[in-house]
Amino acid sequence: MAAENADVVARHRRVVRAGLGAWAVLIYAFLFVPIALLMLFSFNANRYGTFPITGWTLHWYEEALSNYQIQDAVQTSLQVALEVTMISTVVGTAAAFPLVRSRLPFRGGIRASLTLPILIPGLLIGVALLSYFTNLFNLQLSIQTAVIGQAVYATPFVILVVASRLEGFDRLLERAASDLGADTWKRLRYIVLPLIGPAVVAGALFAFTLSLDEFIITLFLIGGHNTLPIYIYTQVKFGITPEVNAVATMLIAASLSVSLLAFATPTLVRLARRRLATARPGTSAGRAA
Amino acid sequence: MTSSAGQAEAVVRGAGAIRARPRAVLTSRLGEYAGFGPVLLLFGGFFFAPLVLIIAYSFWQVIDYNVVQNWTLDNYRYFLSVPTYVRTFIATLWMTALATVLTIGIAFPFAYWLTRYVSRSWQRPLLLLVIIPFWTSYLLRVASWITILGEGGVVNRTLEALGLIHQPLSFLLYNRWAVIFVLVYLYFPFAALTLFSALERFDWNQLKAAMDLGAPPLTAIWRIMLPQIRPGVITAVIFVFIPILGEYLTPQLVGGVDGVMIGNLVVNFFVGAQYTRGAAIALLITAIAVAMLILFRRSLVLEQVYGR
Repeated sequence: MAAENADVVARHRRVVRAGLGAWAVLIYAFLFVPIALLMLFSFNANRYGTFPITGWTLHWYEEALSNYQIQDAVQTSLQVALEVTMISTVVGTAAAFPLVRSRLPFRGGIRASLTLPILIPGLLIGVALLSYFTNLFNLQLSIQTAVIGQAVYATPFVILVVASRLEGFDRLLERAASDLGADTWKRLRYIVLPLIGPAVVAGALFAFTLSLDEFIITLFLIGGHNTLPIYIYTQVKFGITPEVNAVATMLIAASLSVSLLAFATPTLVRLARRRLATARPGTSAGRAA
Repeated sequence: MTSSAGQAEAVVRGAGAIRARPRAVLTSRLGEYAGFGPVLLLFGGFFFAPLVLIIAYSFWQVIDYNVVQNWTLDNYRYFLSVPTYVRTFIATLWMTALATVLTIGIAFPFAYWLTRYVSRSWQRPLLLLVIIPFWTSYLLRVASWITILGEGGVVNRTLEALGLIHQPLSFLLYNRWAVIFVLVYLYFPFAALTLFSALERFDWNQLKAAMDLGAPPLTAIWRIMLPQIRPGVITAVIFVFIPILGEYLTPQLVGGVDGVMIGNLVVNFFVGAQYTRGAAIALLITAIAVAMLILFRRSLVLEQVYGR
């Protein structure tokens, strides 16, 4: 009887397991089919960007790469992303330190205020800054206004990434270095930076990809210029062209590379450091690793 | 632990006992807070100040395309007096709620499968695979569905080629259901990631114990597992619900005339220079978002999600 029961349970478990596995396969298909189709159609000679496939071509890539508007949009996107990355990384990293380490009154409230820009709909940041710049200060919208808007949005992510790394950071290490005579600079250089460096780099890459992809805030704040998402938006309003599919494919490839880099950086840094440490046997680092 | 940490640890051991430093003097206390300087400038000048302005706007008036500081509730009253706007508002609420429930409902079995039935070494790569679409362009992920569901899209072309239909199906796109469908697609990775982080910390033996004691599997999940992963579930709900509430692009691209959401109204008002009315509506959305955040503030686990 008991054995029979166990048998039923085991069979039941297998069914559940198979069912959930099938569910997962469906989900992966759901996630990747649209992206795969975009990529597929970018090589399709059919100029309506859909089935049937009438032949394979790189023509749309040539078109896209020689399109002046696209070149301009890419350049603007990169400029904005670089500026946003610099601002958010510096501001976010600086803020993470007192957030984690100081004896703060109202820590919860401060933490909430620092993450508020990503907790409320991005639409609000866009319209609020638009009114602020154009109506209150009579400023012309420009690349710089878009940079400011995006920096407000990207900074909380850097704060979160760096702060969570700092939280797992043993402060005794710094205190020990200080007891042994290391000044602030040396503590920063030899203790703090090696430990939080990967998080700062990951935060920076995070900010960079967020900026490249940001749409709604940019739409309100960039005025006459186009970032790549804004350009693509003006195009797809009238239907997707194969040219846009080609841009999409290149964009996906680019943002994937950056994101994978962001994901892999901490691991790569750790591996590189371990290799360095083992290359110098006899040092305390080598022994500790 | 990294090797430099190990290095410093060796140093600590060598140094012997660690004494607490004397109490910090006032200057160093101020120095501790110096890191907040830049963020105060950035957020104070370009986030909180504009926020105050937009709140003020919602109580002012636009006369001849200029914002005039006449304090009034007219913007809110106007919004509530136009049936189309109220309908859009209500539709936005149920669409957002439904999209959130569907996203979590689809993501939960997936996260359960990933933590329970997949070996540890495969969990990370498979999770990464889910996040990859999240990293590809948001705009393109929406637009790709036009290629699939549109009149000349993949679905219609395929059905035509198979001889199943002779006219393209038009109900696939440009209505509320298309919007909800694409929203679920957009926000699934976030829900999956958050639920995975929560389930990863769950002690599965408890579930086994409950079932050994005779609880049916679903009861065990509901009574034993859910209470423990509640913060993760709530975080997922909030971070799917709030951005969807303020969505503009998805209804704009795949919603057509019928799929309009409140975000589209806000943009239309601002484009039409009716800043104060737009501000009132934008704040209405934000008020709902903030209310949710306050209500569930204890359960939010941001670091778990972003801090890796």
